[in-house]
Amino acid sequence: MDRRHFLRVTAAAGAGLLVSGTASCATSASSGPVAQTAGTATIQSNLSAPAAKAAIDALVKAFNDRKGSQVSVNTVASETFRTQLPSYLTSANPPDLFTWYPGALLTGYEKKGLLLDVSDVWQTMGDYPQAFKTLSGKVFVPTTTYWWSFFYRKSNFARWGVTPPNNWTEFVELCKTLQGKGVIPLGMGAGSDSPWTASAWFDYFNIRINGAPFHRELLAGRQRFDDPKVKAIFTPWREILPYTDPNGTAIGFQEATTAMLQGRTAMFLTGAFFADAAPKDALEDIDFFRFPIIDPKVPLAEEGPTDGFFASSKSPHVKELKEFLTYAATVEGQEVYIKNSSGTILPTHPKAKDSGTALVKKGRKHLEEAAEITQFFNRDSSDALQPTADAALVKFLQQPDQLDTILTTWQKAAEQVWSS
Amino acid sequence: MPRSLSRVPPILLLFVLVPLLVEGFWVFWPALQGFWLALTNWDGVSPPQFVGLDNYARMIDDPVFHTAVTNTAIWLVLFGGLSAVGGLGMAVLLQKERRGVGFYRAALFVPVVFSLVATSLIWQVLYQPGGIFDSSPLADPDTAIYAVLVPALWRQVGYVMVLYLAGLKGIDPGLYEAATLDGATAWQKFRHITWPQLSSVNSVVLSVIVIDSLRSFDVVWSMTRGGPYHSSELLSTYMYSTAFQSLKLGYASALAVVIFVLAFGVIVTYLVRAFREN
Repeated sequence: MDRRHFLRVTAAAGAGLLVSGTASCATSASSGPVAQTAGTATIQSNLSAPAAKAAIDALVKAFNDRKGSQVSVNTVASETFRTQLPSYLTSANPPDLFTWYPGALLTGYEKKGLLLDVSDVWQTMGDYPQAFKTLSGKVFVPTTTYWWSFFYRKSNFARWGVTPPNNWTEFVELCKTLQGKGVIPLGMGAGSDSPWTASAWFDYFNIRINGAPFHRELLAGRQRFDDPKVKAIFTPWREILPYTDPNGTAIGFQEATTAMLQGRTAMFLTGAFFADAAPKDALEDIDFFRFPIIDPKVPLAEEGPTDGFFASSKSPHVKELKEFLTYAATVEGQEVYIKNSSGTILPTHPKAKDSGTALVKKGRKHLEEAAEITQFFNRDSSDALQPTADAALVKFLQQPDQLDTILTTWQKAAEQVWSS
Repeated sequence: MPRSLSRVPPILLLFVLVPLLVEGFWVFWPALQGFWLALTNWDGVSPPQFVGLDNYARMIDDPVFHTAVTNTAIWLVLFGGLSAVGGLGMAVLLQKERRGVGFYRAALFVPVVFSLVATSLIWQVLYQPGGIFDSSPLADPDTAIYAVLVPALWRQVGYVMVLYLAGLKGIDPGLYEAATLDGATAWQKFRHITWPQLSSVNSVVLSVIVIDSLRSFDVVWSMTRGGPYHSSELLSTYMYSTAFQSLKLGYASALAVVIFVLAFGVIVTYLVRAFREN
């Protein structure tokens, strides 16, 4: 979800494309496991959006040009990738490497012995912050990350004579002022095919009020959705519902983005990836501020979904794939990737250069300032739990007075997911 | 018998047996496996665990399943009923060859040519807040299922119309002439000639609409994903999200079995009745 989900929507054109990589050929139907070529490790990639695909192709080319081990890329549509991942991993002859993100799903596969221990690649990654290490465990190598925040247009804020808020009270004041000027203060795109965007609000209220550790426990099934602490986060959410786009559950993510860019809504809680689809002339005008602090006693946490690679434990190309992972984690590998990718993603290596725009620099600092990084609802829990959140949160947006029933139903639905 | 069998050239046998084997392996075998998986708990990775009829027992307490069944019933009645009535109406109206009739037939058939996903995109734009409606009917849990039904119908009417047009062409014009000589009214002609003569087409149309309504998926998935909060969920979309989002493949297989039984049940009942009448 989040970035991947978004890319899936925008890059339908790239769906199912079979990329034959560089040196050797990956010859298979796009959804099936890839035929192994001796000595070449295969990456099964779900990066089918043009910018992301260009980036991974460039990374692979740079790696292969070193004349060491060789790898090839097999790109599949991300929806196919997601639904076929269990089949890939359990097949007799799986691809060697996979693009993915750390989280509950990966931990589950790790416990089943399907993933390769890449601890020795981590030996070469001494510069990486502990946060990434904790996130990745022994089986994942992170390569890129991005951030979530309230995005707005500087020119619009200037025109309305308002400035970004520093805390919750100021935020509510700002909403009130904007509404007085006839602008819808808060954009929302939880309708159509993107109900998952509402989860960003849930995540943020929870990490601002109950903190990141509680949030993770909740998403892992060690706390309950009908807990009074969870109920409490909906109080400030209710406070700003009158300022939220009344069409927020009718329009999708793309329309909500457009609404903010065109000034019909003032600000929009979203991942930085939305800017990749924004018109060039609007890019310079985009700025952001962090989700306002509600309780200053709670350590600052931010959502920073991280992407990267993991490997299959059945791979016969352990040497080749580890060489590739090591390269992808170096400053050089990261910079090749970032340079060829969309403008808003950040490298995970602290010394690797980002794209250098003001927005990205600020975004990098924004994440560095956080004491804790959370991923996003589906990443910290699972894709299986995401639909339960979608149902609960969209219902809350439409019928906030049903909160008690909503949380009870949510807990029941979540228990079904956890128990299976 | 052995003599007649031996007269079948081996090459013909080959032509029959090879596709049968392929079909058996790629279609029947997985389908049978679905019945077995429905009795298990399976996440797609670990070995399936046998749980007996637990998956079916679970449906009884599953509120989303109840909504999905109700919606599928609504869908079957409205989508099936309206497309049959609409298709037959259009076919009767456009049956006579007159100037411009080809244009109208083509116009009604055009939606069938579009992919349903493309159709959904067009209708999604029509439903946008501030368009035809002030607020999108897709976002309202009370109207979402009907809002999705309209584009599905828009397409299906054209399809059913073509089936009926073909049926109407097959009726002997002499019957109508005789009826006219006997002074039959238009309604009498329809009731006593057209309708009985269409009985074979009717069974095709019934099968088509029952199967099409039970497998309706793309239009709902691309417009609402079964939302908001499961209000437009059909059995098919619920099966898909259970299988591929929640990775509960056992429960999803049980849902698939329910869909199969429904489709099979309706069609078999009809066929049995049709044979008896004959």
